[in-house]
Amino acid sequence: MEFDIPLPEELELLEANSYYPEEEDDDYLNFEEPPYPYPIDGDEEKEEEREANLRRSESPDINGCKRPRSIVSDPIVNLDEGSSPAAEKRSKIDDNNRVEMEDEEWLRPPPIKKVVHVMEEEEEVIIPQETILSRYASEIDGECFPITAPDGGDRVYAKFNRALGDEEVKKLDVKAKSNGLIKDPISVLLEQSEKEAFNKVLQASSEDQNESITAETSVMHERLWVDKYSPSSFTELLSDEQTNREVLLWLKQWDASVFGSEIRSTTDEVLSALKRHSTPSHRQKSDSAFTRKKQFSRWSKDSSSFPKNSDASDSNATDNHDLRNKKSKLIGPPEQKILLLCGPPGLGKTTLAHVAAKHCGYRVVEINASDERSAAAIETRILDVVQMNSVTADSRPKCLVIDEIDGALGDGKGAVDVILKMVLAEKKHATGKENIDNGKTSSKKERRTAPLSRPVICICNDLYVPALRPLRQIAKVHVFVQPTVSRVVNRLKYICNMEGMKTRSFGLSALADYTECDIRSCLNTLQFLNKKNETLNVIDIGSQVVGRKDMSKSLFDIWKEIFNKRKMKRERSNDASGSEAKKFDFLHSLVSSRGDYDLIFDGIHENVLQLQYHDPAMDKTVSCLDCLGTSDLLHRYIMRTQQMHLYAYLPSLVIPIHRRVAQIQRPTIQWPKSYHRCRTLLVEKQESLRSWHHKIPPYIGRHLSIKSFVEDSVSPLLHILSPPTLRPVASHLLSEKQKDQLASLVMLMHSYSLTYKNVKLDPAMSNLREGAASDASALALDPHLFDFISFKGRQYKHHVLTLAMKQVLAHEVEKQKILQASGGRSGILSKPPEIKKINPDLVRKTIAASKESHKNPVISKPPSVSVENATTSKPKPSDVKKASRTALSFFDRFRKSRKDYEDPEDVQKRATAKRDSRPLLFKFNEGFTNAVKRPVRMREFLL
Amino acid sequence: MEIRVKCGCGEEGCSEWTIVELQGVVDSQSSFQGSVQNLEIGRLCHSDSSQESYTFTVGYHELTGSKVTLKKPLLVLKKLQKCTDGSSEKETELQVVGIIRSKILFKTRPKPLFSGITSLFCSCLLL
Repeated sequence: MEFDIPLPEELELLEANSYYPEEEDDDYLNFEEPPYPYPIDGDEEKEEEREANLRRSESPDINGCKRPRSIVSDPIVNLDEGSSPAAEKRSKIDDNNRVEMEDEEWLRPPPIKKVVHVMEEEEEVIIPQETILSRYASEIDGECFPITAPDGGDRVYAKFNRALGDEEVKKLDVKAKSNGLIKDPISVLLEQSEKEAFNKVLQASSEDQNESITAETSVMHERLWVDKYSPSSFTELLSDEQTNREVLLWLKQWDASVFGSEIRSTTDEVLSALKRHSTPSHRQKSDSAFTRKKQFSRWSKDSSSFPKNSDASDSNATDNHDLRNKKSKLIGPPEQKILLLCGPPGLGKTTLAHVAAKHCGYRVVEINASDERSAAAIETRILDVVQMNSVTADSRPKCLVIDEIDGALGDGKGAVDVILKMVLAEKKHATGKENIDNGKTSSKKERRTAPLSRPVICICNDLYVPALRPLRQIAKVHVFVQPTVSRVVNRLKYICNMEGMKTRSFGLSALADYTECDIRSCLNTLQFLNKKNETLNVIDIGSQVVGRKDMSKSLFDIWKEIFNKRKMKRERSNDASGSEAKKFDFLHSLVSSRGDYDLIFDGIHENVLQLQYHDPAMDKTVSCLDCLGTSDLLHRYIMRTQQMHLYAYLPSLVIPIHRRVAQIQRPTIQWPKSYHRCRTLLVEKQESLRSWHHKIPPYIGRHLSIKSFVEDSVSPLLHILSPPTLRPVASHLLSEKQKDQLASLVMLMHSYSLTYKNVKLDPAMSNLREGAASDASALALDPHLFDFISFKGRQYKHHVLTLAMKQVLAHEVEKQKILQASGGRSGILSKPPEIKKINPDLVRKTIAASKESHKNPVISKPPSVSVENATTSKPKPSDVKKASRTALSFFDRFRKSRKDYEDPEDVQKRATAKRDSRPLLFKFNEGFTNAVKRPVRMREFLL
Repeated sequence: MEIRVKCGCGEEGCSEWTIVELQGVVDSQSSFQGSVQNLEIGRLCHSDSSQESYTFTVGYHELTGSKVTLKKPLLVLKKLQKCTDGSSEKETELQVVGIIRSKILFKTRPKPLFSGITSLFCSCLLL
């Protein structure tokens, strides 16, 4: 007797709580965890409970027959006190009735999901015999599980016991047989209900994946014609025969790697699984099969295997077998693992992909523009496709179709990246694949970038979208061409006949022509008209609503439209103004749907002058450039004021250009590069000028803005910098005047911080300046000032110095720089006015000084000077100021004396003088002290 | 043996000397043939800022150092030899010339110097 009489306080707690016995029983059966719903029943009386308890203890026979069941089947019999009031309540009912009722309810097939729940959580089933209940967790050893009553918030702890699910199920079986009121044991019922659910799922999924048109069309009356009459077999395809065949061929090349060895192994599942483990030649397949098997193992463990499942696998096997017979050669996947179909909308790219894939025995998984296309999502989906196989009936290998991969740039790029990564991973591991396959199958499965092992078909409208550039290089590209009008018309006619719509063939051909053989829009239009009970009117097809897929043409197409005049085939379309207006509309919508106005105008600007149009008076050109100028102004204004709505006026500027220059012959259109090129050039030159400007001493630089320099003073400055009179001879051969000139030039160059530097001339540059040396390296001005006066196709008239002269100048400027640096501040301060005026006085003076220095050699002078100065600047701590001033004056004097020697010719002497000015030198001993400790005797002090 | 140490500066206090400690050698240019008489060694400048830092310019180098108080003060002695009482025996005497309590230590790598010196307040001590 496991029901103890509850403690008084527990009873009080439970007074308010009462149970429905049915519910409780259900829960018992299903191992449902507490808490139960506690419907509040205020009528429950304490006395009754007491009485019931008494009565229970008095009637052991009933309890005897009932309790063992609950012991076995109910894992949480004593989990909380709730069970005892329930039992008490039960006791109110007539005993006999109660037993029957309970048994019935107990045997009722439980809801399926609960069984699943039990089966999935096999490990955590609690064995009732060992259940220990306590209000304190500390009293239970081992794992325990808290249970809280929802009303009172009272908490007890139950001991956990882990057991295998099998035992539990067996117990259930035994139990069911003992209470044999139903024919089938509970396990069988469970299975049946499972199977029903399973079949339902199977059916649903197979219906989902069945894209072919079934008999349902009649039920769904409103079905789109496009879907209804979409080709379901390969032969019905409307697209180009050649393309179709090539796509099919490509898909067929996958057969060996996709279907290759699975056939062999699907004969017996267990055996093949084992075999695959030993010889995993086809990793992907074995993996998927293995996971499938694992998933099924749960089901097949206890019960007999599901007939449906085995059926499915059997059919699968036969299916594969057929396919294998078709293609028995064992070759690897095709060279290009990705197929890229591109072409204008409505030509049946998607249809072709689907039909071909289905034809080859694949299940098509489509990722559309409407799906989530972030890189992570795409990757998981591709991995799904590549690695998993469906558990359900349709276990054909999957074929991934990524529709409109060019659609959203950012997202589409994610997909492209993932695919690229997979393909590249494949290529990378192509060599080492064999040993990896043999060695570790499981570890390779966990690798992040799994190689691509299923066909992937990408579909795009615009092949030249930048996002697709990498994909284009590795994929097999097929460009769809428009099917002939007659073909489209035939199909349209057939459909119209099927639908009982009366049309005339030339109306259909006009429609096809108008939509550029976009079958989808043709069909949609036809259906729309049919619905409205209107007939197709040839005259106003344009005015009729023709639904077209939202599309924008590529930039090249737009430029071509602008520069190319369509041959007016239908001259009979009476008034020229109408066609003009149509053209107007067409161009306007074309340009505005593309939207890249500045790029479009760039392209026009780049190409318009290359066109061959008849323009003797240049007025066409002028007006075209006028339009371009207007667009520039407008664009600039929009950018300045951010009034984006003004963009609406930009596309109309294209139309006058078109009307001026459009020609019948096909123009050769180039991508606009000049703008970008000029821009980068500008930035580069500005940067070089700016850095040069920073180097110029500020007293010059502040009078020289970069802009005015480039616009006004570059050319004169260059004239000054390269005087034609200078001869590259040794300096002592120069006449007095030439020396002056040289010196002033050097000063000028130094003060503008210009110098000649070795540069590698590219051939184009050397062509530009023919006078300059054409060898690989030449001396050029350090900021390339000549670049600012050299224009394309114009030779500048400046005299260019010879290489030898440049070398001399570079040398002199370098020397001057050093002199200035060592000359110090005062020298700089004294110089600027002279430099500004380019006054030869200073130069003359220095030369004179040099002559002087020639006359009387100075060797012993500097030390004496320095000593003298040293004595004058003896420390006078009393007035520091004076000392410092003397020091300053001393240095000034010293500099002046040194400046006397500043002649380029006798650097040697100046160097000695400089050395002599510092009679003592300090030599640093690195790392250690050279101090020597030596013992000194007292005697040495004294003697 | 008795050595007499005499301090001659009773009244005005001993003059204080300072050691300049360099890590390296001060050499004269070769053109002076090793004679360092009457040559300027360099300029020792005391920066005006609060911390006791000195710059010492020798030749092309500028050294930066700091004043360090010696653990044990040193005496600067001068040896005097006197003839006492007309006898031939000389009496040696040590005279205290100064006391050294601190040194200026230049232990960092010198900074090479090419152009003019920009020093602020220089109190030049020639040693």
